[in-house]
Amino acid sequence: MSKHSDAIGLDVGTSRIVVARKPGEDYEFASQLNAFVCIPRSRITENVLEREKIPHTAVAGGIVVHGNESEKFAGILNAEIRRPMSGGVLDPREPDGLRMIREMISLMIGARSGERQKLCFTVPAAPLGAQESLTYHEATLKQILGELGYQAASINEGLAVIYSELESSNYTGIGISLGGGLCNVCLAYLSVPVMSFSVAKAGDFIDQSAAQMTGERANRIRLTKEDSFHFNGFFADKIHQVIGVYYDDMIRSLVAALKEAFARARDLPKFHRPLPVVLSGGTALPPGFRDRFEKILLEEGFPADISEIRMAQNPLHATAKGALVYALSDL
Amino acid sequence: MRNATNFPGRWSRLADFPSFGEAVRIEWRAGRIADPVKRLRYLRRRMLQTKRRGFHGWGLIAVPLMIAVAAARLPSGSAETMERERGLAVPRAAGAAPSMPPQVWLIEKTEAEEVYSNGLRVDRTFLTANRPRARFPVYSLAGSPVPWRYGGAPVGIVYHTTESLVPPFEEDQNRRLQRLGRNLLEVVRSERAYHFVIDRFGRVYAVVAETDAANHAGNSIWADGEEIYVNLNDSFLGVALEAQTGAAEAVTPAQIQAAKVLTEALRFRYRIPAENCVTHAQVSVNPLNMKVGAHTDWAGDFPFAKLGLPDNYSIPLPSIYAFGFEADPAYERALGMNFGGVALARAQIERQAAAQNTPAAQYRAMLRHRYRDIEAELKQNEGGN
Repeated sequence: MSKHSDAIGLDVGTSRIVVARKPGEDYEFASQLNAFVCIPRSRITENVLEREKIPHTAVAGGIVVHGNESEKFAGILNAEIRRPMSGGVLDPREPDGLRMIREMISLMIGARSGERQKLCFTVPAAPLGAQESLTYHEATLKQILGELGYQAASINEGLAVIYSELESSNYTGIGISLGGGLCNVCLAYLSVPVMSFSVAKAGDFIDQSAAQMTGERANRIRLTKEDSFHFNGFFADKIHQVIGVYYDDMIRSLVAALKEAFARARDLPKFHRPLPVVLSGGTALPPGFRDRFEKILLEEGFPADISEIRMAQNPLHATAKGALVYALSDL
Repeated sequence: MRNATNFPGRWSRLADFPSFGEAVRIEWRAGRIADPVKRLRYLRRRMLQTKRRGFHGWGLIAVPLMIAVAAARLPSGSAETMERERGLAVPRAAGAAPSMPPQVWLIEKTEAEEVYSNGLRVDRTFLTANRPRARFPVYSLAGSPVPWRYGGAPVGIVYHTTESLVPPFEEDQNRRLQRLGRNLLEVVRSERAYHFVIDRFGRVYAVVAETDAANHAGNSIWADGEEIYVNLNDSFLGVALEAQTGAAEAVTPAQIQAAKVLTEALRFRYRIPAENCVTHAQVSVNPLNMKVGAHTDWAGDFPFAKLGLPDNYSIPLPSIYAFGFEADPAYERALGMNFGGVALARAQIERQAAAQNTPAAQYRAMLRHRYRDIEAELKQNEGGN
């Protein structure tokens, strides 16, 4: 087996966990919702879960269903799904978060298959202007992966997008990962990260804000957003209208942060040509998002020349793929 | 805002980034790497080297070397411009040669012999094993004494003479010629000295398995493109022609034909570039006195053209321009080391030093320091193994 098959890219996002591998010439991906739901324990339920091979864990007084199936069970039981992470990092308010994320990662990647198997996992950047420490989040994930036997290294989410998508510009440009908890931005020059930051307004912000305005559960807003929302259209129903308003708010905040970051930056290298911008992540999926982002960026006026703004080839997998490319390049 | 992870130190100073010229060259080189992972690996290493340069004085070395080497591969217009502007010699071989040899394939293989489509016949009766070929370090010409990658397959061929007794190639010497040839093969096998030996009748003998290293090159140096190889036993295949330097008769036409088809087969099998087919005298060095030409076989008159190769004697010796070795003029005259690569490398190092406003002696001392670092690292690894 070649060394290609050994390395793993792991995108640990607020909303989803994505694993990338390259067993041969092609990349392979697997993803699970980074969420869980507690259901009452019964012999019948346990049998059904076992029979259907639904990932679950028995806990005191109940059963925890995690990953993709948690959404379905939450719908059936009319319960809100719980998530181990919030705002891009492990949620300190979620008592079962650490145990669940360990369980999910373990199920997805398994124990290492060889000596010094390389794994690269994504971490967010600190919010713009904040000195917030991300050490705990990063160290905890590293510990979990170390316990599974992996030689783990971290990579900034935005940089992972660049490593995944900007080969054609020799890994120079701006990578933006629009996730559930955060929008992560990185500017790289010939593969070197020059600056990176995050913006706390992302998919969850849209869901929660729209939920407050409409009285719906945030999970339902998320499903609506993912299933049927698009830009440049007119919606009769309030949910779509409200989602559109908060999407605009999020994009404007992101563009403002980009402008501010460039204004604050000192001693940036000279870019000899306009920079490409790549958008990735589940929050960038609605049709028309790229056009909307471009329109707002042009309206606001960006201090650097932009050559193109484009979507990642596969927005849901780009970050994990970039982490894998980084792991492979380190072999 | 913070710098993203994974790159040691902070890239907070403009000085950490390459200059415009360097960036253009780095990008140009990266653009030639099709595989995205390899391209990223190359860029990360080059950028780290750029950031680290200045340590141990490598910065003074890196730029001219990069310019010199990059210039050799740029399109002709750019290369010529750069050559004029920088006054640097461009390492390239004289005479055109096909970039890769024609396809050669194995027709038949038995315990005793291999037969190839270009007429090559390899006698396997003396074939033996040595230690398996180790992953060999490949260094960047851009300056770092740390390997930028490791190689596994042979990247070149070193041609040797056996320096054994060679009687006149005449019919009445037939029995003697055969006996000496057989004795020679016994010695070569016991010493694991070469991968292949071509006897005076043009018969090709495989001696050390191609999967293994042969003890043929010792202290030696060669470079191609932006990569430099040190101590070539693992990275280059050793091909010896039964011959003696200074003997009345040079190699026989049969030996030349055999060397040609063997070279074609090896180059095709391992994708060996023509400029990596060189002689022992070109690669051999003596680290004790920092002189080139510790071994002098094929110091001149190697029939490159007859083997379908460019005149690789015209390639500047990397031992001189990359590591500050010297060629003693008296030694050259005595041994007939008259190939142009020595003079070109000397001129190149002078220009490199001048381009940096550094006295040549000081510049050469820095290059030598780099070689010593690499040598120490290699010895340490040998000890570790």
